[in-house]
Amino acid sequence: MSRRFIVEPRGLASWWLKLVIPIGSVLAAMVLGAAFLALTGNDWIEVYQKMADAAFGSGRGVAETLVSATPLILTGVAAAVAFKMLVWNIGGEGQLIFGAIMAAGVGIWLSESTPAVIAVVVVVAAGAVGGAFWASLSAVPKVYLGTNEIITTLMLNFIALNLMQYLVLGSSSPWRDPEATQFPQGRPIIENARIPEFFHRLDWGLFVAIGVAVAAWFVISKTRSGFEYRIVGNSFDTARYAGIRVPRKVLGTFLASGAAAGLAGSILVAGILGKMDPRSLDLGLGFTGIIVAALARLNPIAIIPVAVLMGALNNAGPSLQSIGVPDATVQILQGAILIFAVAGEFLILNRIRRPDPTAGEAKATAEAQTA
Amino acid sequence: MADPAQISTPPAVELRKIDKSFYGVLANADVDFSLSRGEVHALLGENGAGKSTLCSVIAGLYRPDSGEMLMDGEVVDLKSPKDALAAGIGMVYQHFRLVSNLTVAENLALGNPEVGLRLSQSELEAEARELGERYDFPVDPTARIWQLSVGQQQRVEILKLLYRNVRILILDEPTAVLTPQEGQALFRAMRSLADEGRSLIFVSHKLHEVKQVSDRVTVLREGRVVGEVATADAEPRDLARMMVGKDLELPTREPNAAIGEPVLVVKDLVVADDRGLDAVDGLSLTVSAGEVVGIAGVSGNGQRELAQGIVGLMKVSGGSVELSGKDVTSTSVLRKIKRGIAYVPQNRLGMGLAPGLDTEDNLALKQFREPPYSNGPMLNQKAFKTKGAELIKGFDIRGVRPGLPIRLLSGGNLQKALIAREVTQDHCVLIARSPTRGLDVGATAVVREQILAERDRGIAVLLISEDLDELLALSDRLVVIYEGKIVGEMPASEATAERLGLLMSGHSEEQPA
Repeated sequence: MSRRFIVEPRGLASWWLKLVIPIGSVLAAMVLGAAFLALTGNDWIEVYQKMADAAFGSGRGVAETLVSATPLILTGVAAAVAFKMLVWNIGGEGQLIFGAIMAAGVGIWLSESTPAVIAVVVVVAAGAVGGAFWASLSAVPKVYLGTNEIITTLMLNFIALNLMQYLVLGSSSPWRDPEATQFPQGRPIIENARIPEFFHRLDWGLFVAIGVAVAAWFVISKTRSGFEYRIVGNSFDTARYAGIRVPRKVLGTFLASGAAAGLAGSILVAGILGKMDPRSLDLGLGFTGIIVAALARLNPIAIIPVAVLMGALNNAGPSLQSIGVPDATVQILQGAILIFAVAGEFLILNRIRRPDPTAGEAKATAEAQTA
Repeated sequence: MADPAQISTPPAVELRKIDKSFYGVLANADVDFSLSRGEVHALLGENGAGKSTLCSVIAGLYRPDSGEMLMDGEVVDLKSPKDALAAGIGMVYQHFRLVSNLTVAENLALGNPEVGLRLSQSELEAEARELGERYDFPVDPTARIWQLSVGQQQRVEILKLLYRNVRILILDEPTAVLTPQEGQALFRAMRSLADEGRSLIFVSHKLHEVKQVSDRVTVLREGRVVGEVATADAEPRDLARMMVGKDLELPTREPNAAIGEPVLVVKDLVVADDRGLDAVDGLSLTVSAGEVVGIAGVSGNGQRELAQGIVGLMKVSGGSVELSGKDVTSTSVLRKIKRGIAYVPQNRLGMGLAPGLDTEDNLALKQFREPPYSNGPMLNQKAFKTKGAELIKGFDIRGVRPGLPIRLLSGGNLQKALIAREVTQDHCVLIARSPTRGLDVGATAVVREQILAERDRGIAVLLISEDLDELLALSDRLVVIYEGKIVGEMPASEATAERLGLLMSGHSEEQPA
């Protein structure tokens, strides 16, 4: 026996392993982060305390963490539902931005006297429609012509970003605030379309995001349509064989994915921003959503805590500068978590064990007998 | 050929007592083979007879477990295809080894140690053009591989070997991908290569091709050489009998007396394959209630397209399919399932089952739309459990655990699950492709039992298989498919190895060879 360890597929991982390994991955990343901080001459305990304090230490801190988590839940769900069906929608960024453009457009266009209930629902829904529309620009050619969605969704991110910047910074479109004379800004949406806040800056958008994640889980695991979705995500050929119209299913999933990302955009516009602000919408939330989805192993419910963790890290970053630690530390931690999570995924899928010498001999004898 | 001077020289390649097994299964056993200079030597045999393994041994891809190989009388030990190429042996595989976005000339240069670091495109192109013209094998050297037809790509593969100046060319089923005209061009090139003194090994299932192009034939069956003859002396019927086996075991059971009304009626069906060629070409067929019709044929003669055309997975471009008198030619797959077509595909995990879902989910893969599995838009998880447990018990599917992806079950249990699902849904026709392929004896028996039980229940069964034993054990009537057409039909009790072998290799009964 030359090999000292045997790696073999685990088959069915127990539920506690699926829980312990991701938590272990996060802890391992923090140990690595601590080592890095210690090596660069920082007091790692102080840094972690400061981060925990900023993220969870006060009501305001918790609110800000959840504010950061809200769009990540939605872009995370957007990525997860698409990836689970082997649709590589990496255009969450563009779909979020186009959702924001639609939401802001509708929010500006609506009459000031529109009742708040209607205005909020219409503006938030406009974001979902916008996101789905932006996704359809990649989805329709993919399904009917076989174009590669990785490329089209990626390119459309830049188009959406530039379109948003043009609408506010480069033209005198209705999206630009005519009263902003110093530096161009987005025009505020009507007051009645703003999502009410309930705890510091935290607004009801959080519950929309959680609702979408729960709904995604429910549809996938409890409904007939979700069963079809799971079959398609397993094998297109099997799905066709079982009488499922695969193109339609892929199209529907792709649009739903875009709608979730678009909702993230409209909730930002109708929530904390109140207008289409190009700087605040260009934070890579769509891309971070992909990381969130990967860490959550594409499970919509797991996306919620993972998004909160990522939100906490984002929120903690700026506080580090006060103790002279660059806020890029947070990015190092995020990167380390992702790497450990990928390694952890391997442990969930495979088991590593010492070879059993007697088993090896038994196998050899069995082979000798058959030969 | 019969030049006495050549007989005295040692053969270009000689194999002595070659054994090769994979995971305990013998692919080649005690194979002796010799290839003379300047001959085209055909290897004939059914699927799985060991032809490709033998070629791969000669080409250095596999190392034999025992036995030796000689070239020009000297023992050689080829450790890799690279060694073989250096010794002058090259093989054209069924799946081409070409870089599709490089040009023909660039592909020729690839991996050639003589090309060195600097490429001269114009020189390469001139050489490629010259080679092509010499063998009447014109290919545009500046064309990129993806722009070429499959036949032209094959030429590039051959030119690649000629460019390396191989003396021994192995062509593994080269005509399988060619149109008849391309095939004829290939044969002409093969002859001129042989006339130059090169030796060729030609693998085929088709007797008429072997007759046309080869000098000698070696027939393999179950990994062993069962005969070697000069082509000129070989009677097609002898070759067919050697290929299929001495005596076929005739079915011991009585044909079903209770054959009812026609259920599945296929008329002049035309189905194109992935390349757009008509793989099923005007095929007509009737299967009645309580009857098992077996379709015999060498793989790649339209079996896949026939099955997928009937069930709606491939587009039917001509003819019709009727089910109990109703036309279902172009209805959707779902409609056909609901009308009563059950289908056991050859590809269990890739098509018949969803590999990552568990067994209970897979057992509901077609019926989940209806009660009790679903209730309006909602799934009824309980029904998945209870119905699943029923089938798992009833069909003795082992190794199942809730949540365990079905792909982790053994082949026999996969097939039991697949068949359990197909035969317990409402249906009047069962189409099964190679249902016992790769199964152990126990699972094979269970699957066969199920198919006969279907027949006894009055289901019309269409059994498409390359395994003659299976066809004879189960069918009431045998139909032979060749190049997308039915070329013969007989009650299973009248089938003989010779008759089937001839029909399967393209000799129609009316036109004796």
